[in-house]
Amino acid sequence: MSDLLTGMPVLSLVPSHHNLTYHLIVIVIAAFAAFIPRYFPMRFFTNRKIPLWFNEWMKYVPVSLFTALVVKSIFMSKTYAFVPFGHVSQILAAVIVMIVAYFTRSMAVSVIGGLAAVWLISLVI
Amino acid sequence: MAKAQQINPEGARWLQVLGVSMPLCLSYVPIGVACGILLHAAGMNFLLTFLVSVMVFSGGAQFILASLLMLDAPISSIFMTLFFLELRYALLGSSLSKYMQNESQRFVWLFSVSMNDENYAVNYLKFATDKNWTPKDALLVEHYSLLSWAGGNMVGGLIGSAVHIDLEIVDFALTALFLYMIVMQVRNHLSLLISLVSAVLAVIFLSLTKSTLGIIIATLIASFIGFMIENTVRQRSDHPDDAWIMRKLFRPASSRDTISDRQEKDREAEVEAELKAELKEKLQNDAKTDEAASDSAAVKQESKKSSGDK
Repeated sequence: MSDLLTGMPVLSLVPSHHNLTYHLIVIVIAAFAAFIPRYFPMRFFTNRKIPLWFNEWMKYVPVSLFTALVVKSIFMSKTYAFVPFGHVSQILAAVIVMIVAYFTRSMAVSVIGGLAAVWLISLVI
Repeated sequence: MAKAQQINPEGARWLQVLGVSMPLCLSYVPIGVACGILLHAAGMNFLLTFLVSVMVFSGGAQFILASLLMLDAPISSIFMTLFFLELRYALLGSSLSKYMQNESQRFVWLFSVSMNDENYAVNYLKFATDKNWTPKDALLVEHYSLLSWAGGNMVGGLIGSAVHIDLEIVDFALTALFLYMIVMQVRNHLSLLISLVSAVLAVIFLSLTKSTLGIIIATLIASFIGFMIENTVRQRSDHPDDAWIMRKLFRPASSRDTISDRQEKDREAEVEAELKAELKEKLQNDAKTDEAASDSAAVKQESKKSSGDK
């Protein structure tokens, strides 16, 4: 019965595990998620003025979002519990990345330095 | 200059633009490789990695996509997380839109599809400083960076299948990338405060929702608080830019300028030029009134003289 169901073309599109179709669907969904915020505001504002409040609010979205994402990867466990010292090597490496980014202001140097730092620290700890 | 002529004797535009985008392309390669390794670990083959790097073309989004796939997150939460992550492009796109007013719909579409944080930075600077910079050149920069990014991704995919690499370490590339962006974004006391507020809110809402939805809630609340605080300060204070919370943070003088630095410098230069022009006008006016005053004095003296003569 379950073989019959997964054999049906429509149901095989409904993803339950990782396969080629699932990945293709995810890629298309991801492409849409990336496309909508890129295209429509630009298209909309090519012949209109940007409202001030929109600019003012959007100004704080990147910094809030990046902080939330960093907090999630450093201070949260896989089950979304708060673990202040769960990833000590990453916390130390994060401090190093921030110092490197502050002084060099170079993306490549910050990322490669961060990878080297987390690798070296995890060897020691 | 001489070297540029040696390499590019005919002054071909595509080579000049390649020169402009070279630093960007080179810095994309190592990050692209790390991202390719993670996408491979998430179960994507060589071709899918290529497809995702062309269709999504965003470092942050692809790293997040890889980790969400590894966590078996539902498609709806993948879409929402990526959508909010890419929402920052709304701001970038609308700030470049003024240079695209003479372009066709198709061109705007083509341009926005491959827009990215870093090639935006290059193009914004070029549009602002180089009068000969055309939207076509800007598109070429995007395509060069796309090429090096996709190349890096595919090399990463191959390395990932060839050797065993500790994914926890590679995954830190994303955290480092975001930390770099935070450091570049935190410019005054308020943005530092908002960053801290967002950190606290993220912990609270991630533990409450037990899903990536917590990130979105924390982002919306924190950015709204920032918006409200700035709005209130601007309304209440006579000199909002001098208020403590809006004051700029210290930056090492030796460090490079970024786009927003230059924008700010341009703005300051404009204000200064305006002040100078005003001052000049005032001085000229003063001189005129002085002249007028001395003229009238001379007239008075003359009239005195003439009256004395009488």
